[in-house]
Amino acid sequence: MFEEPYRWVEAIRHRREYLEDQLSGGSPVVGLSWKNGAVLATAESATQKIYEIYDQIAFGGIGHPSDLEKLRATVLETAHIEGFNRSPGDVNLQRLIKFGIAPVIKQAFEEILHSPFIARLLFVEISIPSRKPYFLRINYDGIFDESSRDGILAPTSALSEKMSRFIQAQNLLPDLALDEAVQWAMRTWAISKLPSGPEENGESPGGETQKLDRLIRENLSSWKPEISVLDLELPGTSKYRTLSTQEITACWR
Amino acid sequence: MDNKISNGDFWSLLKQSGYRLCADLGPAGISGSGEAKHSFTHATTIFSFKYGEGVLVAGDRRATAGTTVMYDRTDKVIEIDRHSLLAIAGVPATAFEIARIMEHTFKYYRRSQLQELSLDGKVRALSRLLKENIPMALQGIGAVAPIYAAFDHIKKEGKIFFYDILGADFEGVEFTVSGSGSPAVRGILYYENRWGKSPLGHLNRAEAILLTMRLLETASEFDSATGGINTRIRLYPQIKLITEKGVEEVSQETLESIFAGEAGRAGGAHV
Repeated sequence: MFEEPYRWVEAIRHRREYLEDQLSGGSPVVGLSWKNGAVLATAESATQKIYEIYDQIAFGGIGHPSDLEKLRATVLETAHIEGFNRSPGDVNLQRLIKFGIAPVIKQAFEEILHSPFIARLLFVEISIPSRKPYFLRINYDGIFDESSRDGILAPTSALSEKMSRFIQAQNLLPDLALDEAVQWAMRTWAISKLPSGPEENGESPGGETQKLDRLIRENLSSWKPEISVLDLELPGTSKYRTLSTQEITACWR
Repeated sequence: MDNKISNGDFWSLLKQSGYRLCADLGPAGISGSGEAKHSFTHATTIFSFKYGEGVLVAGDRRATAGTTVMYDRTDKVIEIDRHSLLAIAGVPATAFEIARIMEHTFKYYRRSQLQELSLDGKVRALSRLLKENIPMALQGIGAVAPIYAAFDHIKKEGKIFFYDILGADFEGVEFTVSGSGSPAVRGILYYENRWGKSPLGHLNRAEAILLTMRLLETASEFDSATGGINTRIRLYPQIKLITEKGVEEVSQETLESIFAGEAGRAGGAHV
């Protein structure tokens, strides 16, 4: 069936449909910057979804847990071998993703006799000299995009656009306090729980924020938010930590 | 991307990538007679003791090659993770490499297995590296006799471990010493702990730091390979503390202010 180009294109199209369908039930991951680094937030996930990769690199993902785990292990190995053989300062997201796993993910996607990665990933890195975050999102087909402002990882492109529009409309400053960054990250995540956005229901952005806050306060314990931060002020080389339930709850008092 | 199962072992991963800690010395790597041909010198002074708030680890700053002072600002007390320190005595090239491997080993384990390596596992990891280094140690060109100190979060107390160059690990109950200057301080630590105004474990932070500076200055008087304190060029030893909160390096300003009252004291000639 693969001797004809059309068959290959058709197979890829089917594969894309299959992957979109597999990912459609995932819980979004939101990345925002704050004054000491970056926040990654998600909720309602059955297993851990946000992980430390290296001293100043973290990631969150949507997809099949085993595929996420496989990709996480590969990036971890590459980062640590590189950090040991050269130096921790030589481990950076651009090299790990663009020259590391992106070609592998693309190859797996296009080799239609092999299984693709059912995964969509959001990485974030804090540059120690500039203190600025760098978000890098990579799709199951190996396509990646970058941002220094925020990172939205959603199960569908429609939801991704809606969440991006929401967060961009807030014009957030990059030096938010941690509790503010956590609040905005969770509000952005909670967009996924709204039936429609402000433009559809005619609500003002301010009104929508109040509605989101109410929704979050009502559901905080059942959603079980998972939030991790990169914090340049942490002592030692590792700048990653996971917020406790108490810390997350305190942001909503 | 292969299908191997990750067990969080960075050392195995490193070896798979072609890395070797110990140079391949061939059959000569271990003395044919079964006896070491060289005496092992640990040109340094490092020690650790338990004080009121946790564990103190200290080292002088001198690196020597024979009778030549190579460098007087060596960092011999290395932070391995947020709750443990490695103090190195022996050949710096091997010691620094072991410290780098340990740091990456613990980080990689924590990140890949999503849990901290146990304290026993950490102690064992260093032992394993020293065993890998036996051929170099027996040649007299790579011997390392380190001290590893950490906070045990299960028992809620600081722990001190010391090793021989073959990788045997021992737990120091209250204090331990290593390096060529260590005989000068070992007896003093015993004396202070047994007959001093208060046992080491009752000292507060400032008292522990002051005792440490006195001990390192004493060691430098009796051992030419141990660097002392030189206030003119602001050269002070390295002192780090491990408490339940984590590792803290005592700043140079603190050392200066604590030692200021000591510098002007009369007496002290030993010969």
